[in-house]
Amino acid sequence: MSEQLRRTAGDVVHSVRLWHIWTRLGLLDLRMRFRRSAVGPGWVFLNLSVLVVAIGFIYANLLGQDAHYFIPYLTAGMILWSYLTNSIVEGGNAFVNCEGYIKQISLPIYIYILRSFVSVGLTAGITVFAFVIVGLFYRLPVSGGTLLALPGLLVVMTASLLLITIFAHLNTRFRDIAHMATVLLQVLFYATPVIFPAEALLRRRPDLSFVITLNPMFHLIEVVRHPLLTGAPPPIQSYIAAGLILLVLGVCAAGVIAVFQRRIVFAL
Amino acid sequence: MARIHLENVDLEFHVGAERQDTLNSVLAHGFGLRRRRREPRTVKALQSISVSIRAGERVGLIGHNGAGKSTLLKVMAGIYPPHRGHVAVEGHVCPLFEFVTGFEMEATGWENIRTRALLLGMMPKEIERKIESIAKFSNLGDFLDIPVRHYSSGMYVRLAFATSTAVDPQILLLDEVMAAGDVEFIECARERMNDLMERASLVVFATHSLDVLPRFCERTILLRQGRIVADGPTAEVVRLYTEGRPVREPTLADATRGV
Repeated sequence: MSEQLRRTAGDVVHSVRLWHIWTRLGLLDLRMRFRRSAVGPGWVFLNLSVLVVAIGFIYANLLGQDAHYFIPYLTAGMILWSYLTNSIVEGGNAFVNCEGYIKQISLPIYIYILRSFVSVGLTAGITVFAFVIVGLFYRLPVSGGTLLALPGLLVVMTASLLLITIFAHLNTRFRDIAHMATVLLQVLFYATPVIFPAEALLRRRPDLSFVITLNPMFHLIEVVRHPLLTGAPPPIQSYIAAGLILLVLGVCAAGVIAVFQRRIVFAL
Repeated sequence: MARIHLENVDLEFHVGAERQDTLNSVLAHGFGLRRRRREPRTVKALQSISVSIRAGERVGLIGHNGAGKSTLLKVMAGIYPPHRGHVAVEGHVCPLFEFVTGFEMEATGWENIRTRALLLGMMPKEIERKIESIAKFSNLGDFLDIPVRHYSSGMYVRLAFATSTAVDPQILLLDEVMAAGDVEFIECARERMNDLMERASLVVFATHSLDVLPRFCERTILLRQGRIVADGPTAEVVRLYTEGRPVREPTLADATRGV
């Protein structure tokens, strides 16, 4: 057993070292996804922009929000939300989509997780341009504090990698997981302060604050969004929560790797 | 030094519930539904396999369909971890198993060459050096510029074969690869395969072509229902195989019972 575990750990290390393979595969994913479209990766960008304009217009009025604050809030939230949910939904197919490779090529399977990490990350990266445009348009304050978004980004990227790891394994074994996650995430979306500012809910119904404080997605988004918008560090609770989330995800990821090990090939 | 060493390797396939209907219909053909009380859950694909192959050896692998040839190759390649037993493989493994899967459908022929070559262990520089000759051998010409989604099955084989055989393997694991492609291609392929087998320091070759086997392999292993029943000089083992052909093919029931 311990020998198996040692091999698995070796596989993980070996996978990381094969970066020249998984970065290329991830890039290829992006190119292929938009091969036959005229606008190409621009669609990711357009998709987000249209949503932001539509939701932004309606909700800013509905909730009586100032567009100068709300539109950048919405844009940053949407980008981070899609990044995390794509990690779950697309990450769930990381192994399934690579069945042809896994069954005939003797490379450690974790390169396919890293491939998915790259392609999901690049897709999210495209949408960052939307935020830059929004930020310039509304003249978002830029200061040294804005840089505090970087450690937050590191947290979110780590969460993405761990989520992909967890869901790639689970969804290979139980193919309903990705579908189930899609449904649950849809519900969670409306409970997460993305299309409404957290303060809007807290001001009206302070008793419902648990909806926000217990929502892991909120904290993961907040550690990036808050410094981006305000140039100030996010509340310490969000850092603590984000740390706890990473810890839990890390344990789960290590858990699924240890449980499935190299046997994932039998589930394909 | 290249080396493959397997000790008491067992490998099982767990047959999922979703396949039961199909299995039932297969079994019903064999010997009537009523006699089966329980659904088969585990297929013993390999049982107590012990084999040692050293550098310089070229070993043939023969047996009926479902005897475990491909599974054994995949264990040697490190794709299937055994359920019991010990596997030690030293040297860079190049598996050539099937040429019809493992493509990026939306990507062009060129991109697929690069991807496959990377996955088979070539470095980017080596790929750029070899890509022209790979393209030339594949004989796909302008088709390399379009997504492989539009390819015919023969074209997949050409592409995959041309790429896969461009590697410099230490350990070469081959699984009956001359399956598709037109006559002209098969002729070229055979030559290239010979060349590849010359270059590799250790070859294991699963095949049904008993006539070509003696040319390539001095040693042959005969598998039956997941067990090694003979391992020795090719001529002897092939004779044993052709003379000792059982009247009926092994059934799934045999495999699950573990005989």
